[in-house]
Amino acid sequence: MDDLPESSSKGTKRRRIDDSAADAATSSSLQDDLTFSDTLVALQIMRAQFPHIDKVSIQPFILKSQLYSSVKDRTQVDRELESLRRDKVLRLFKLNTGQDDHAIMFLDDYVKQIDQVFKRMEGKKEVEFEVFGWFKNYVLDSKLETGIEHEELCSLLSLGGKVKDSHISILINAGVIIRQLIDPNMYWFAIPNIGTILKGLAQGRNELISLLSRRRYKEMMLATLEKKRLRMSPLDMRFHLRDLIGSGHLRTDHTPSGLIIRVSKD
Amino acid sequence: MHTWKQIRDREFGNLRPHRFSNRIKSRRLSDLQLSNHKDFLSPHKGALNSLQVDLTEGRYLLSAAADASVAVFDVQRPTEHEAGGLISKHRCLFVVDKQHQLAHKYAVSSAVWYPVDTGLFITGSFDHHINVWDTNTTQVVVNFKMPGKVYRTAMSPLATSHMLVAAATEDVQVRLCDVASGAFAHTLSGHRDGVMSVEWSTSSEWVLMTGGCDGAIRFWDIRRAGCFLVLDQSRTQLGRRPSVLKRSTVNKESNFKSSSAGQTTSAKLRVAQKKLPNGNGSRQVVVGRAPAKGPIKQRLHPGMLSTQDRATAHYGAVTGLKVTDDGSDSRLRLWDIESGCDTLVNFETVRLQTNKPIQLATSQDSTRVFVPCMRTVKAFDMWSGSTSATFRGHYECVNSCWFNEQDQELYTGGSDRQILVWSPPRLISDEMEEGIAEDQDSWSN
Repeated sequence: MDDLPESSSKGTKRRRIDDSAADAATSSSLQDDLTFSDTLVALQIMRAQFPHIDKVSIQPFILKSQLYSSVKDRTQVDRELESLRRDKVLRLFKLNTGQDDHAIMFLDDYVKQIDQVFKRMEGKKEVEFEVFGWFKNYVLDSKLETGIEHEELCSLLSLGGKVKDSHISILINAGVIIRQLIDPNMYWFAIPNIGTILKGLAQGRNELISLLSRRRYKEMMLATLEKKRLRMSPLDMRFHLRDLIGSGHLRTDHTPSGLIIRVSKD
Repeated sequence: MHTWKQIRDREFGNLRPHRFSNRIKSRRLSDLQLSNHKDFLSPHKGALNSLQVDLTEGRYLLSAAADASVAVFDVQRPTEHEAGGLISKHRCLFVVDKQHQLAHKYAVSSAVWYPVDTGLFITGSFDHHINVWDTNTTQVVVNFKMPGKVYRTAMSPLATSHMLVAAATEDVQVRLCDVASGAFAHTLSGHRDGVMSVEWSTSSEWVLMTGGCDGAIRFWDIRRAGCFLVLDQSRTQLGRRPSVLKRSTVNKESNFKSSSAGQTTSAKLRVAQKKLPNGNGSRQVVVGRAPAKGPIKQRLHPGMLSTQDRATAHYGAVTGLKVTDDGSDSRLRLWDIESGCDTLVNFETVRLQTNKPIQLATSQDSTRVFVPCMRTVKAFDMWSGSTSATFRGHYECVNSCWFNEQDQELYTGGSDRQILVWSPPRLISDEMEEGIAEDQDSWSN
């Protein structure tokens, strides 16, 4: 990942990444790096910009709506995501925050996250933890979609050894697999420990939209907006802005004095 | 000027006539706006649910509304002129409403012409009935009782050997009704929830596509029992399939609207040998042989929505296996019928109406698709997914739209009871040169 034209012009951003006390106040303006040319570049830069959250340890993930706001052509985004997914560079997860939300995580990060969960659980009980190893080796490798059927899961796990129901319960307790509400035989793949973050995501979205809706003209300059801090969400303003712009709730317009963010009505 | 040069090229043989007409049509298509010369006076007192122009002549517009009324308009000849002949007003030729003896009692959800001629039309309504009407006498000829509310009816435009009306109702079975005999032919089971959209294939008179509230889109061959293909959103392909000696490998399917590719297609979808068990979303690839250009049909999907929508554009809810919890963002998807894969073209839609069927329209050469999105109609480029135009004019949700190929006009009907016409602007100077259509001087004889 070398200097691409996008990042090379953002001299301040390079320095900021090295700076350990990276904070929204010192980062370069979102206005400069709102859009990128390539999906993979966008993913990597957004992964680097993922906010550091104190109490929860979670690897960086990117929302699909953030990608849509960052790369101009949505069809190209979809197709590149699809080919990256097939190449097993990253994985897609369906989130339960109601809308058509998907989270993208690099495969290495996901494996790290599973390992972290595994380590914390390992302290409690000794039995039947080889299922995590089976999961990583067999299931993640062959099943690239966001959901999996019960029989298929069992058959893939049994490539490692004898599968019992308690194995599946361990996976569910760890948060790696979630049962689907509609179909009891299907599971979603999930990111463990992401619950508080998703709650913060939903609350942060509402807070940002209400912040703008309360204003008289339902708009605010981007420069002032990104300096505000959200009270209810551990994720930073830039994360939410990219997400809401990509999902269409907010619109950006160019004005002589910079970008302005408006609540879109349609 | 540009046009004159093209006409001269055509005369000298430098430009093929077909390409000349395509260029004119696509230029007109990109200029669509609220018509400044044509208006329909809608007699409906309820939200418009469906619009269709007849396929044989392209002259009569059939509209169905929620107040149980059905009206027919003449698209080409206006009933009166206004503003000195510049604006043509089209009144309905007749309207069938609740006062009529055998009319529907509740909302009419779909009205389609008999594909062979305009002597018959078929209406389906929420009062569980499908009526076949004789146009000239406005009498009900045949009546079918369904087990649930009828969401859509469709007849195959290619059918030469059958006269079957496919009915999509809130019942899980799709029924085929025979107009000739007045009886039910058979039922197709496989959906797990109500069926909101149904469309016949434009390449084969035996293939039917249905979309259900359970999010599945199924392809049926009516000569067999059971569907042969269920579209699955996890099967994707990147873009159009490359054509190898055959053109247009991507077929898009529209649930109610199919735009034929301009050339007759003799592509027969050869059905896979195994019969799909019902309720199982396993994918069967259709072994298709498409020597000629396949028909382009577009299928729309709401990504995570379980209802299907649209008359022409229904969004099929998530297909195949996934059922979603909550309707939220609806999405449009383009499916390749031959391969059964999602082509991953992303149409930027924020919100689509999710509780009723809506009707999409596609332009004939399949470059544009017109989608009602709440109060606006958006025109997307079919292959890249970018919005090419947004039509704002309705006061309430737009329910259906229909694209008139011959004149490059778009008719949209909404919950505000209006039928709006969107056409390329007509220059006032043209009218002046031809002379005013009607010359009415009130003070001279």
